[in-house]
Amino acid sequence: MSLASAWFALRSWKPFAFQKEVWQAVKNGESGLLHATTGAGKTYAVWFAALNRFAKPLPAAKPSTRPTTRKPAMAPLTVLWITPMRALAADTARALQAPLDELQIAWSVGMRTGDTSSAERARQSRKLPSALITTPESLTLLLTGANARATFAGVRMLVVDEWHELLGNKRGVQLQLALARLRQWNPQLIVWGLSATLGNQPHAMDVLMPVGRLVQGKLPKDLLVDTLLPPGIERFPWAGHLGLRMLGQVVAELETSSTTLVFTNTRSQAEIWYQALLEARPDWAGLLALHHGSLSREVRDWVELALKQGALKAVVCTSSLDLGVDFLPVERVLQIGSPKGVARLMQRAGRSGHAPGRPSRVTLVPTHSLELLEAAAAQTAVAERRIEARESPEKPLDVLVQHLVSMALGGGFQAEALLAEVRSAWAYRHLTDEEWQWALAFIRHGGHSLTAYPDYRRAEPDAEGLWQVPDARLARRHRMSIGTIVSDASLSVKWWAKGGSGGSLGSVEEGFIARLRPGDGFLFAGRLLELVRVENMTAYVRRATSKKAAVPRWNGGRMPLSSELADAVVDKLGEAAKGVYASPEMRLLQPLLAVQASWSALPTAHTLLAEVHKSREGWHLFLYPFAGRSVHLGLASLLAWRLGQGQPLSFSIAVNDYGLELLCASPIDYTQVLTPALFNSDNLLHDVLASLNAGELARRRFREIARIAGLVFSGYPGAAKSARQLQASSALFFDVFQQYDPSNLLLTQAQQEVLRQELDVQRLQHTLERLQGRTLDIRLVKRATPLAFPLLVERFRESLSSEKLADRIKRMVQDLEHAAGPGGYQADTDARFAIDDERPAPRKGRTPRQGKDGRPRT
Amino acid sequence: MSSHIALQLAGCEVWLLADKAIYWPEQQTLLIADLHLGKAATYRQLGQPVPHGTTADNFLRLDQLLQRYTCQRLIVLGDFLHARQAQNTATLQALGDWRRRHAALAITLIRGNHDRHAGDPPPALSIETVAEPLLLGPFALQHEPHAHASHHVLAGHVHPAYRLHGRGRQSLRLPCFVVGERVSLLPSFGSFTGGFTVRAQVDEKVFVVGDGGIWEAPRSGS
Repeated sequence: MSLASAWFALRSWKPFAFQKEVWQAVKNGESGLLHATTGAGKTYAVWFAALNRFAKPLPAAKPSTRPTTRKPAMAPLTVLWITPMRALAADTARALQAPLDELQIAWSVGMRTGDTSSAERARQSRKLPSALITTPESLTLLLTGANARATFAGVRMLVVDEWHELLGNKRGVQLQLALARLRQWNPQLIVWGLSATLGNQPHAMDVLMPVGRLVQGKLPKDLLVDTLLPPGIERFPWAGHLGLRMLGQVVAELETSSTTLVFTNTRSQAEIWYQALLEARPDWAGLLALHHGSLSREVRDWVELALKQGALKAVVCTSSLDLGVDFLPVERVLQIGSPKGVARLMQRAGRSGHAPGRPSRVTLVPTHSLELLEAAAAQTAVAERRIEARESPEKPLDVLVQHLVSMALGGGFQAEALLAEVRSAWAYRHLTDEEWQWALAFIRHGGHSLTAYPDYRRAEPDAEGLWQVPDARLARRHRMSIGTIVSDASLSVKWWAKGGSGGSLGSVEEGFIARLRPGDGFLFAGRLLELVRVENMTAYVRRATSKKAAVPRWNGGRMPLSSELADAVVDKLGEAAKGVYASPEMRLLQPLLAVQASWSALPTAHTLLAEVHKSREGWHLFLYPFAGRSVHLGLASLLAWRLGQGQPLSFSIAVNDYGLELLCASPIDYTQVLTPALFNSDNLLHDVLASLNAGELARRRFREIARIAGLVFSGYPGAAKSARQLQASSALFFDVFQQYDPSNLLLTQAQQEVLRQELDVQRLQHTLERLQGRTLDIRLVKRATPLAFPLLVERFRESLSSEKLADRIKRMVQDLEHAAGPGGYQADTDARFAIDDERPAPRKGRTPRQGKDGRPRT
Repeated sequence: MSSHIALQLAGCEVWLLADKAIYWPEQQTLLIADLHLGKAATYRQLGQPVPHGTTADNFLRLDQLLQRYTCQRLIVLGDFLHARQAQNTATLQALGDWRRRHAALAITLIRGNHDRHAGDPPPALSIETVAEPLLLGPFALQHEPHAHASHHVLAGHVHPAYRLHGRGRQSLRLPCFVVGERVSLLPSFGSFTGGFTVRAQVDEKVFVVGDGGIWEAPRSGS
């Protein structure tokens, strides 16, 4: 009897078919990808597969004459378990440990993440546990050890948990490279990926392994998606409310279930909702909690623990709780605002209803009327399982450069052998010889332009051609910079206490704090705080007495609506155009859509709606391709540039997920110039590059690349001072490289990443091709339509402070409502908190400026 | 587009140059701040790749200025050398070559925070090095922008830059002069130096430089 069968029999469980399939596959030495939802039992599918194959139970203890406390010798490192978040490591460790104790298997389970204590590290450097749970970054770091080969040669199996989270980003590429190295040492290495629902499972498997078996887990649980319907809707929506008008209804929903997760899309929104819920129900103090990525580890740990114990009524959270272990007590999930994607919505829904017999249920809470449309569309898309795909990045050179130095540290490398190894990683399968030579030159001389400089060398080959890092200082610095996650300079937030600092609350971005003066209030970690002073990368705070507070805005890029969800939205509009209002959401939207239809038209899958409008500001064009924010930005720049070819015109641009606005200050007859040629996808790349302030976008993208490739050193933790002469902004590097080394491949990469990621050129091309097949439906409108209004507001947002903005919008809504006639609905506004009010940075006196480390800037 | 703007400051005419320097015609003196010579070399020595060319560019731009304006004296408002590593042979060699080409020029360096760490330039370069403030006419020449009791301060240290906003989503960040009632700031002269974005106070004027020209920045919010 296998270990797995023994353990399942012990608790009279019956293994699922997919679990048995994985056990059999691993028994045969096969690798594969297991696709199953959270809580479906995939951990035990792969864990028992590993135990069955590699572990032996202890021989039955002999009745010994004298009691011994000596523990049996534990098996050497055999299984690596990769997890995307270190927060998950502890729970995974518990899950893996449980059967070991009961089955008396002499295996140890350990963790190695950024949080691992130095004592534990030292213990591990003597002997690693039989199964090691780690992150991609920590794995690479372990591979930089001088005797990495001896340490890892015994690894027989590698499991990647939540692979869908890593697949599409550079962390996944880093893992691909580490995996290539491990395979080199053990060609028989068995690899299993665990993934939630993806639109392209086969690709997810190909990236991880040359050959493998795709195992389909238990079918997803019943998934219930519904919407919290407001009593009425605004016909002229704008995405500036935070949805707080739904507060009363949300409180009522929370009352009816034992434990609820309230997901928001941004950390600021989470802070505001937490505050508002507490104000609405002060008696819930202690039962409500807040969870987001900028809170300190201790706070998050406490929340997670309380959640597991069922001690909380509700947790307001961000994607920080998307992943991970099951919180069994969670009964409901609320999603404030648009979920932006189908997979994300399903993932969040899956956080609820883990107890047997309960369905997963997610309730969408629209923050403005058009989100009702998205809610209706999301329901259909989920039901039809139209799920987004994720693709691995293609040969990012910054990650390669970092990897080369890592490998030079980890016992050194021979260039020829490493090239073959790197090419065995999916992302680098098409790496050219030139690119390889450039990368080697870059770590040796810093790129071609530095060839003559003798002092610079990060790694270099010795007489036998073995590449190593000659300088111990550089080695230490490189180890500290491993990773591909780049965050903004942030300050830690601590309580102000006499004679020293108090406890830590978390971190906020430097740019936000820079706009506050001492004495100003802000909302953070669910508290109203007052800034006391800023020094040494720390913002000291105390409890605020005033009620006025700013809310930090963290720079997480705004996620665009996925194509799958956008298509579903257009389908819903198409139905409405035919008079079909099948769901309660659509029926509620009818007044808005009626105004839209009577002033203009409804967009459909066969038409491209264009609205032309003349106002005091100038000549507006509103266009609705429904292709997501990033594509619209590229498209708007492209159209503006192409229109400007015939006559010198300059345009202001606004975009959202549904469409775009071009505004021209000088007369232009859009009905004449909107021709099919304008949407031609020939010469796309050239035109997009010409049209954009592509340099500016590339400069921003370069930040991440510079950090990963080791151009910018973010400093030793807590010792910002000593590395001060090395701190320079990536923007400065970008300028210097562009001027003195323009052919540097990292600059090329920045440009490509702008095209691929920021603007999504592939999707832009696809969108243009689709638009060509549609009939252009041009409407002259007298005033902004319900679809155009959010775009107008979007543009004002760029130029006006939020307070002025709110007043101006209110006036505009009143005018439009008046024009639209009876049938409108006025809800209370929720302007109690101002988000990041963009007030100018205070400049008191003429004291020297302070740099990021609190020291005068130089 | 003009290459300089003449300004009455503390009763004295000075020219703000598009080349990130101040020319004081009456004294035939050129003022620059924050050259940060040898910064790129320092980076390279510490293992950070930076391309060649920034030092040569610094000297080239200085040459052009000295050619265009009649100068008896050059005063550097601090941060002439970036760090101790800048006192290496290659950088000093380049500096020495440049100095020989302008042997008649009197050069004064007001020590800045970087100079204190880097150490004074070698005596052979005959660069007079003094602590701040250097009082000259109505001006207190300093590195750090502290107000002076009696004199108008001209200072560096801050590396001021100003963000101009255009239509649509356009914006541009440019090095700038900040001219105040008591204290005025020079942009950093060095080719490999960053900038710190400033906003103008009510009693201050901002002059941005770029592409060979200098402009007074429009008041924000108006």
